[in-house]
Amino acid sequence: MSKIPKQPEKKQKASEKYQSDDNFAYRSVIISAILGVIAFIFSLLFNIQIITVFMNINLLWTLIDVSIKVIMILLFFLFIITSYANYKELIGKRLNWKDLIVFIFLSIGQTLLNPSVFILTLIGIFIILIYLFLIQE
Amino acid sequence: MKKEIFKVLTCIVIINITVISLFLLVNGNCAVEEIDSKYGDPPIIDGHIDLSAKEWSKAFKDNDIKLEDLPIKLWVMHDNENLYISVQIEIFPGYHSINEFIGLIISNSSSENKEDFIDARIIQFTNISTNKYNYFDYNVSDSVFLIDTEENGDGAAKLEKITSTYEFALPIKGDDTDKDDAALDYGNSYAFNITYGETQSYPDGIKKSAIVLINIQSLTPSIISITNLVLYVLIVLVFSIIGILLFVYIYRIFKLKEYMERYKR
Repeated sequence: MSKIPKQPEKKQKASEKYQSDDNFAYRSVIISAILGVIAFIFSLLFNIQIITVFMNINLLWTLIDVSIKVIMILLFFLFIITSYANYKELIGKRLNWKDLIVFIFLSIGQTLLNPSVFILTLIGIFIILIYLFLIQE
Repeated sequence: MKKEIFKVLTCIVIINITVISLFLLVNGNCAVEEIDSKYGDPPIIDGHIDLSAKEWSKAFKDNDIKLEDLPIKLWVMHDNENLYISVQIEIFPGYHSINEFIGLIISNSSSENKEDFIDARIIQFTNISTNKYNYFDYNVSDSVFLIDTEENGDGAAKLEKITSTYEFALPIKGDDTDKDDAALDYGNSYAFNITYGETQSYPDGIKKSAIVLINIQSLTPSIISITNLVLYVLIVLVFSIIGILLFVYIYRIFKLKEYMERYKR
C-alpha cells in the first residue's frame, strides 16, 4: 500500500492540464489575432480601393474583386472573434452580445464603398454567426 | 413566246432585288454596342494606360468589341471638358503594320447614316517600331477626308510588347467648337465608327471598322463626388478605428502573456 497520498499528484496533474490549456488558448489568441490582422490589411488594401487592378475590367474580374473583398472581411471577422473569445476566456470572462455587435459593425463598416460587398458580407456574417451558435456546447 | 417574256421579267426582278439588296448592305450600318461613358479624372494622353496611377479607372471598359474579326479593348470616359476614348489592339509580335492607324469617324448625332459621319480623328503611326505617330483632325464630306483648318482634340499612341494603345481626347461642347467637327454635348448620343487600317490613306486604307453608340452622360459630378467623399471619409474612419482597436488589443495580449508568466512563477 502506497504511503504517498494520491491527492497532491491529482492536483499537480490538474494544474499542469490547466496550464497546458491556458498555453493552448494563448497560442490560439496570438495566431488568430495575427491572421485577423493579415486579413484586415488585405481588406484595407482592397476595400479602400488602394488596389484597383481587378476593378472595372469585365464581369469576371469584378466578381473576383468583390469575392476578395468579401472573403477578407469575413476572415477578419472570424479570426478576430476567435481570438477575442479565447482572450476573454483567459481573463475569466465570456464573449457577450455587445462584443459581437461591435465586431459586426466594424466588419460591415469596411464595406461602405461597395453595395454588393455590403450585401454579401452581411449574408456571410449571418452564416458565420449561425455556425458559431450551432457548434456551441 | 409568253414563256420567254416571263423568264425575262423574272430575271429583271431578281437582278433588281439583288442590286437593291447590295445597295442596302453597303449603306446599312448598325451599331455593335451602346456605351454609357463614365465621368472620371482626365487621363494623360500619352498612349499608355497607367493602371498604378488609376488612369482610366472610372472609364467604361469593353473587351468584347470586334472590328469585324479584329478584337479590341475599348475604354470610354468623360470629364468637364473632353470625351476620352482609348482603343487597344493586341496582335502577335511582328503582325503590327508599320503604318497602323486607328480612326474615329464621328456622326453629328446618333444617326448611323453614312452622310452623318462628318468628323474624323485619326492617330496614324508613321513608324510603329519607333512609336512615331501623328494625330489628324479631318472633316468628312461624301466619304472624302479633308484636313481640318483648325485641329481640335488630342491623340497619342504607343506600342508596348504586343499591345498598341491609342488614346483620344475630344472636346465636348466648347463655345469655340469648330463647325467642321461633330458638336459633342452632354446628355446626347453619338455614333462612332471605329476604324482600323494599315496605310496612310483615308478612307481607302481603312481595313476594318465597327460602329458604337456612345451616350455622353449629363454632368452630375458634384453630387457624385460629395457622396463618394462622405463614404470615403467614413470608411477611412472605420479602418482607422479598427487599426487603433487592433493595436490596443495586441498590446493587451502581450500584457496578458506577462501576467500569465508571473502567475506561473
